[in-house]
Amino acid sequence: MADPIEDEIQAEIKKHKILIYGKGTKAMPQCGFTRETMQFFDKYGYPYELIDALPNPAKREALTRMTNWPTLPKVFINGKFYGDTDILDPMEKKGEIEPLLKEAFKNG
Amino acid sequence: MITTETLTTYVRKALPDAAVSVTDRTGTMDHFSIRVVSDMFKGKNLLDRHRLIYDALGEPMKDGRIHALEIKAETTDGS
Repeated sequence: MADPIEDEIQAEIKKHKILIYGKGTKAMPQCGFTRETMQFFDKYGYPYELIDALPNPAKREALTRMTNWPTLPKVFINGKFYGDTDILDPMEKKGEIEPLLKEAFKNG
Repeated sequence: MITTETLTTYVRKALPDAAVSVTDRTGTMDHFSIRVVSDMFKGKNLLDRHRLIYDALGEPMKDGRIHALEIKAETTDGS
């Protein structure tokens, strides 16, 4: 039984190489962690998308179920889930982010 | 609001060997940084380590006693 919300999420994950599901919009982030996550990616200069998960509780629940991760923001890079800056920061310290993003944007 | 003792107890229920240090980031007792050191993390990637902690703190997160949580999860040898 295909779930239209999960299909919508899968499509969004495929469409955006860096995708943040967070609270608020790029212009008006509603939470410190969402802002922090945008600032994290701003450093690298690659384009990213922020999708506000607040207006759609059903979608937010589907995201939690799909990722087994209870909080927002939720970050996807190149279709894969990476949690939030609690995960990305230690990865950055080990130099794992730069190659990951280069790979994601390799073919334009 | 939740006290650091209660928060630590929740974590230790899931990770009995855990050394837990808690920082109240805003003084409102609901925005925390938490560092958990446990050898039960050995062989687990970062996402799964954090999932263990989120599961342990599921109740106080659902009922709002914890509003925001920053997590560091390491083994005793710091890996």
